[in-house]
Amino acid sequence: MEPVNYAKEGLVFDIQRFSVNDGPGIRTIVFLNGCPLRCQWCANPESQLLRPVVMYNELECIHCGICKSVCKQGAIGSGNKGLIDRTKCIGCGECSIACPAGALIMKGKKMTVEEVIKELKKDGSQYRRSGGGLTISGGEPLVQHEFTLELLKAAHAQGWNTAIETTGYADEEIIRKVLPHVDLSLTDVKSMDSKIHEQYTGVPNEKILKNVKLISDITKIMVRVPVIPGVNEKREDILKIAEFAKTLNQQNLMGINLLPYHSMGENKYKMLGRDYKLHGLHMMNRDDINVLREQVEKTGIQCKVG
Amino acid sequence: MLEKGFSQPTDRIKRLANVIVTAFPEVEAERAVLATQAFKETEGLSNVMRRAKVAEKLFTELPVTIRDDELIVGSLTVHPRSCQIAPEYSYDWVEAEFDTMETRMADPFKIPKDVAAKLHEAFLYWPGKTVSDLATSYMSEETKDCQANGVFTVGNYYYGGVGHVCVDYGKVITKGFRGVIEEVVNAMEKMDRMDPSYMKKQQFYNAVIITYTAAIKFAHRYADKAREMAAVEMNPTRKAELLQIASNCDRVPEYGATNFYEACQAFWFVQLMLQIESSGHSISPGRFDTYMYPFYRDDKNITKDFAQELIDCIWVKLNDLNKTRDAISDQAFAGYAIFQNLGVGGQDECGRDITNDISYMCMEACAHVRLPAPSFSIRVHENTPDEFLYRACELARLGLGVPAMYNDEVIIPALVNRGVKLEDARNYCIIGCVEPQCPHKTEGWHDAAFFNVAKVMEITMNNGRVGGKQLGPVTGEMKDWTNIEDFFTAFKKQMEYFVYHLVEADNAVDLAHMERDQLPFLSALVDDCIGRGMTVEEGGAIYNFTGPQAFGVVDVGDSAYAMQKHVFENKEITVAQLKEALDHNFGYPVDSSTQAEKAFDAARAACGVTPAATFNAPNCGQTDEQKVYEIVKRILTTNGSVDLASVTNEVNRSFMACGGATPAGNVDYFAIKRLMEKTEWYGNDIDETDYVSARVARIYSAEVEKYTNPRGGQFQAGCYPVSANVLFGKDVAALPDGRLATTPLADGVSPRAGKDTSGPTAATNSVAKLDHEYFSNGTLYNQKFTPSAVAGEEGLKNFAAVVRSYFDHKGMHVQFNVIDKQTLIDAQQHPELHKDLVVRVAGYSAHFVTLAKEVQDNIIERTEHNFSGGCGCGH
Repeated sequence: MEPVNYAKEGLVFDIQRFSVNDGPGIRTIVFLNGCPLRCQWCANPESQLLRPVVMYNELECIHCGICKSVCKQGAIGSGNKGLIDRTKCIGCGECSIACPAGALIMKGKKMTVEEVIKELKKDGSQYRRSGGGLTISGGEPLVQHEFTLELLKAAHAQGWNTAIETTGYADEEIIRKVLPHVDLSLTDVKSMDSKIHEQYTGVPNEKILKNVKLISDITKIMVRVPVIPGVNEKREDILKIAEFAKTLNQQNLMGINLLPYHSMGENKYKMLGRDYKLHGLHMMNRDDINVLREQVEKTGIQCKVG
Repeated sequence: MLEKGFSQPTDRIKRLANVIVTAFPEVEAERAVLATQAFKETEGLSNVMRRAKVAEKLFTELPVTIRDDELIVGSLTVHPRSCQIAPEYSYDWVEAEFDTMETRMADPFKIPKDVAAKLHEAFLYWPGKTVSDLATSYMSEETKDCQANGVFTVGNYYYGGVGHVCVDYGKVITKGFRGVIEEVVNAMEKMDRMDPSYMKKQQFYNAVIITYTAAIKFAHRYADKAREMAAVEMNPTRKAELLQIASNCDRVPEYGATNFYEACQAFWFVQLMLQIESSGHSISPGRFDTYMYPFYRDDKNITKDFAQELIDCIWVKLNDLNKTRDAISDQAFAGYAIFQNLGVGGQDECGRDITNDISYMCMEACAHVRLPAPSFSIRVHENTPDEFLYRACELARLGLGVPAMYNDEVIIPALVNRGVKLEDARNYCIIGCVEPQCPHKTEGWHDAAFFNVAKVMEITMNNGRVGGKQLGPVTGEMKDWTNIEDFFTAFKKQMEYFVYHLVEADNAVDLAHMERDQLPFLSALVDDCIGRGMTVEEGGAIYNFTGPQAFGVVDVGDSAYAMQKHVFENKEITVAQLKEALDHNFGYPVDSSTQAEKAFDAARAACGVTPAATFNAPNCGQTDEQKVYEIVKRILTTNGSVDLASVTNEVNRSFMACGGATPAGNVDYFAIKRLMEKTEWYGNDIDETDYVSARVARIYSAEVEKYTNPRGGQFQAGCYPVSANVLFGKDVAALPDGRLATTPLADGVSPRAGKDTSGPTAATNSVAKLDHEYFSNGTLYNQKFTPSAVAGEEGLKNFAAVVRSYFDHKGMHVQFNVIDKQTLIDAQQHPELHKDLVVRVAGYSAHFVTLAKEVQDNIIERTEHNFSGGCGCGH
């Protein structure tokens, strides 16, 4: 077995324990910064940049002005939209440390593999009892692929199950290097129409589709489809994805997982001083999504919602 | 399939349960009148003999009541879900509430006029003669002072019977009351006339024989009544049932049971008679599946469905018994609870798993009957079948609050550490809320007191004073502390003092029971009372304990850690500044409800008073914050809500009237509160803070363990509050963790409300760090979950894994509450109390309270009662 580099550093914006929807059993999700895509529905917009960002929660703010006085970039002022001038902010975190009300929250912290594993070990008993383990998410975990790789190796050294949540957008060589250490890849396929894909995510889909096939040859794969009204919620959109899934290595295909659109990320855009392009879009109703699920199941592929 | 679902109960069970649900409980007078008569007639006799005569009168003359549809009979009262009064313990609070008990907030009871008159007449006999009167006479003024100031209360046994016991049901079901009498006769034959306690023993033995002879008669009165009813019954089915009931009551509990039905009836008579003899609650059936199973296994004629219906009938009957307490105590015990704890699963004396058919049928009964009793428990150990735990989790998912789950791997060593033999410890059952004991060998005095550790912290910070009064020892002024150890040194001394007085109070009450409350019916069913010729109250049980409960441990732990961090390590404020902020309740008006706090914040903002300004300017005879509060209150009273415009107007007018606000001084209490609240709290799996709470807990348990009770047993600590954390929180001033005066304290060993923001695995790990093995009188951990987090087969597996891993970490007890629509609506209104609520869907999570209102509404709308799909809102 290859030795693990426990000193390897990565940029982590959240660690979420007791996750039960992202792989088998009870899991801890490690969220990494950095994503090459810009999906309009992204529920974790704070993850997109490969550097720490500060979020401003106006509800907690007591308007004391301390943040303004500590900011060396002059990025803070009540005249700015969402308090912070994002063109000036460098994500140094000084304001967050000084804020007495907890209204400025840093997302993105350097951690070593060893530090992350120490946090994960706290739930070792829960993984053992439930068959759970580590899920690396993002952002796109393959952006920080070296860190991701070391983390996966370290998790396997503990005997934990490993999973990643990926857009599939990465160089082939990275896929070949990292995926052998993944027990389950939760892999997004957002649209079979490359134009639509590019319009809503910022990148075309050819590279992704090629990688998805490759992943299915390496490890277990669950195809995940965020179902977004107006983008891919039509029957034929979903059926095309199902057809594509049929072309994957069937031995490794665990099924299709439909993730109905939700607007729970909207608040985060406000906290980042950004506009939410999908404002006003309704969450999908349960009956409609169940119809889609039945359609997929008719093609002989297992399908679950949520 | 792991998920099995639950069947529907029979129509009979639905009707019986409905009688309980729709009943308005009443107070009845018969027991008080008959008992008082018997006490009057026996003044010259020994206490145990008097109690035997009381029991005899009650068993011979209490009204016999068989309700429609019943298959298991025997009632304490004529009206369903009603209660009797036991004036021999205390009575004045009943008299004081004659006119108000029907309309009080917690647990109302109707007292009809004629009943009140009869009770009044009976009470005339009692001044100076009650157990409570005697206990009071034993207590020092200092001890009474501690109680008056809310440091602890021993109210439970001070005003009522002890209860809190599991007797030998198996002995009665197998050998009958005649078997008990025979045992006594054998013991009498062996008596040595040279033994100086010969006469005393003889009194006890005679008392048992009188009591059990009358108890047999009590059952026969039910047989006669059933036959009478059968004679006039037109419905042939019911007629046959009544004749069967008559035949059962002819046989049991006089003789041993010959089938499962008789065993059920015999069980019920014992459960009922204990609660006729005394007013003690938490009379716990214990390991029902162990002593009932042989009768089910060997009954070749019974169908599983009928056996299930009989168990369901017992579940309903457990809800037919009731107890009234004084208005204040009933707030602490709200919900007509009498804590009859019944448990299944676990291991036998040799460590083998005992799970059987009855274990599963008991779970089914909980789902069928859906009433508060019994307090239903399961035991879990390494060899507990997974199927059993999954089934228990499936039951817990229904959201009925049961079963509570207990960890054999902690409780058995905890009991062994207290001197219980290993084989007896393996046989433990749960009493009342969460208290483990070896059944029918223990007088555990489990609910001996509630001890308010948070109050002791407040007193410590005031150098032993409460208000202006020196209540505890002088241990140094807070302003002189230079590190957290200074606090702990002072705190330990205060704890020593107050635990000593707690013990004095408990032992005073214990002695009073020993002299005035010797119970022959109970004692004959607890080993080794017959062998020793002593009642339980005199120390006849093999194991004797006194178990007072701490609450507020986590509040002290979090407060100590916040002080350590912000005052002593980071030196962000001085200890004097903190003290001043605490003395001023962080600038908030005392007794502010959460709502008032919010309104107050709004008003402050409206006044343009920024937190940077100080509120410490009493230049108008009133501090500004008091003034603002008064204004808010005034507006609230007239409008029912606060709008900022009216607040601003009012504030301006009011401030102008006294020459305007003049913020002066240099302490900003709000900033201090915010600073102290910027701390890592217990409940997030952070060693630095969790072990501070564990240290506080250990200080309490170590102090308690030093003492012995009059029955020769050791004191042992528990850590659970029932609902005392809310009630007694009202006595505690502001704390360094930012908690405001009079607000609720933490619940048991659970993290403070809303402070465990790192998910359930972090919370369970934190809780498990308290050294539960020292809390051999029990700990209580409430874990919340959302339907979606445990939905489906996967959810059931994860649920069981949470339990297993909490127990791997040496947790002792856990029970689960479902987060329902109502909780989420409450979280919208009181976000500060629900910061732990997390919305989880794939690849995403957020705290519920941070979401936009429309999104919250949407989630609330989707939160349904079933488990087939979720709202996406996980804990």
